[in-house]
Amino acid sequence: MRKTWLRPGTWLLTGFIGVYMVFVVVPLLWLALGAFKTRFESLRSPPTLLFTPTFEAFQKVFAGGFGSVFGNSVTIALANVALSLLLGIPAAYALSRMRGPARKNFAFWVLSIRLAPAFGLVIPLYAFMRTVGLLDTIGAVIIAHLTINLPLAIWLMMSYFDDLPTDIEEAAIIDGASRFGVLRWVVLPISGPMLIAVSMLVFVFSWNEFLFAFILTSSDAQTVPALIAGLAGTMNFDWPLMSALSVSALVPAFVVVLLAQRHITEGLTAGAIK
Amino acid sequence: MRRFQRFLKFPSTFLAPAILVLASIVLFPTIYLLYLSLRHWVITRPNQYFSGFANYRLVLSSGSFWDSAFTTLVFLGSTVLATLVLGTALAVALNRSFPGRGVVRALVVLPLLIPPIVAGFTWRFLLNREIGMLGSWMLPAIGLDASMLANPDLAMVSIVIADVWSRTSFMFLILIAALQGVPGSLYEAARIDGASTWQEFLFITLPLLVPAMLVGVIFRAIEAVNTFDLIYVMTQGGPGTATQTLSIYGWRTAFTSFDIGRGAAIAVVMVVFAIFATTLLSRRVLR
Repeated sequence: MRKTWLRPGTWLLTGFIGVYMVFVVVPLLWLALGAFKTRFESLRSPPTLLFTPTFEAFQKVFAGGFGSVFGNSVTIALANVALSLLLGIPAAYALSRMRGPARKNFAFWVLSIRLAPAFGLVIPLYAFMRTVGLLDTIGAVIIAHLTINLPLAIWLMMSYFDDLPTDIEEAAIIDGASRFGVLRWVVLPISGPMLIAVSMLVFVFSWNEFLFAFILTSSDAQTVPALIAGLAGTMNFDWPLMSALSVSALVPAFVVVLLAQRHITEGLTAGAIK
Repeated sequence: MRRFQRFLKFPSTFLAPAILVLASIVLFPTIYLLYLSLRHWVITRPNQYFSGFANYRLVLSSGSFWDSAFTTLVFLGSTVLATLVLGTALAVALNRSFPGRGVVRALVVLPLLIPPIVAGFTWRFLLNREIGMLGSWMLPAIGLDASMLANPDLAMVSIVIADVWSRTSFMFLILIAALQGVPGSLYEAARIDGASTWQEFLFITLPLLVPAMLVGVIFRAIEAVNTFDLIYVMTQGGPGTATQTLSIYGWRTAFTSFDIGRGAAIAVVMVVFAIFATTLLSRRVLR
């Protein structure tokens, strides 16, 4: 029998991985490089790879009044994490322990919401928020993001609770514990890592989301992606500033990949696997 | 048995809050959308009234709608096919153990977590003809001196490349999950029989991957129809209407021409497509 590494297919696949890595990494390096250029340096043609790095663009990001935009993004994302857990945990637990058609219908419902065109939701939400005078408020964006995050969180927590053995819970019920007591003292203490993974996903989805934030806000409640897109629509391009903003917008993605990459696969593909 | 039944009983307080919230933020807007699509309402004009199916007639009889539908189909076909091929190759390549696999896997997944706005901006920056690494430097060096995003055909190519960069990992994750369910004994048996790597792929891996591929294709097709941010930040649908997909067309109708009624009708058409695809999918995924 031949050794695996001697097979030509192995070499082909390894080569492919190498090329793909270049494809993934080079754009990010280019973006990072752009963030450390001066505006003058960024306009050089052809572009230079070697230059004296400056923090000019990052200084503009953090001293140039964009702090409130980052604040909005963080507030909206954290509120989504809190609401998704608060509303989602009991619902997911109940759905997981329930039997019958309700559960199956709900699963289909969650899948439909995940696949529904955001564009179909943004028009009625815009019309509604306009009527009640909530346009350009953080609350409007929080609500809009919850339409994606709450079903996702429920789905993920439900499938986690499904895998837990129920004998301890049954025993606790027989000993007179309430449903809530079981959830609080038996189930939640062993769900920590899952809750962290779900929180991270909800945070990143909310942080990355553009369409809702873009349509529902104009200035006061603007989020980071809406700001970047807004600047990209202007004529007077400040490439280093936009690169620095983009690099700052990547922080949550990197944190999640570094800390929880293996635990979020199910969340990223919710509904498609299993 | 009674014990078990008691175990199944739940106070409604567990489900009620989530269901109430979901109903008011998802169900109510969906009904409101249908209502809006039957009304004449242009934000910049004072009067609004019930107009029956006028919006649908206007939308379905307009050339720009069908042009956008065709553009959407071109975008959908290209990005779904490209991510399917690349995702399969990646899944097969990373389903073996080799040093550094964890790092490679993390890097493959990374683009999926990056805001699409940033992905689009990054590619716009790379492809810029005056100052971009690809557009002003590498493409001219190989004789392709073209302003990718200003050329109607190449603009679509650019968007597909950026979308592939951003979304291939999704296909990869679905396919590698399916691959990990394939018993290794199948490959051992094939190897003893002297099968080549290519034959193993063609006769073992591929047939077993088909169901997961179908799921991935449907998911990605819906995603492609819904794609807005990436296209918006790269071309806003331009040059002209070369990259104007349905979501961009709908956005233009509702939020730059301020015709909410007609925008709602376009959205309903998109929702109908999503429902069709989801039903197709649910037969496979939920069973």
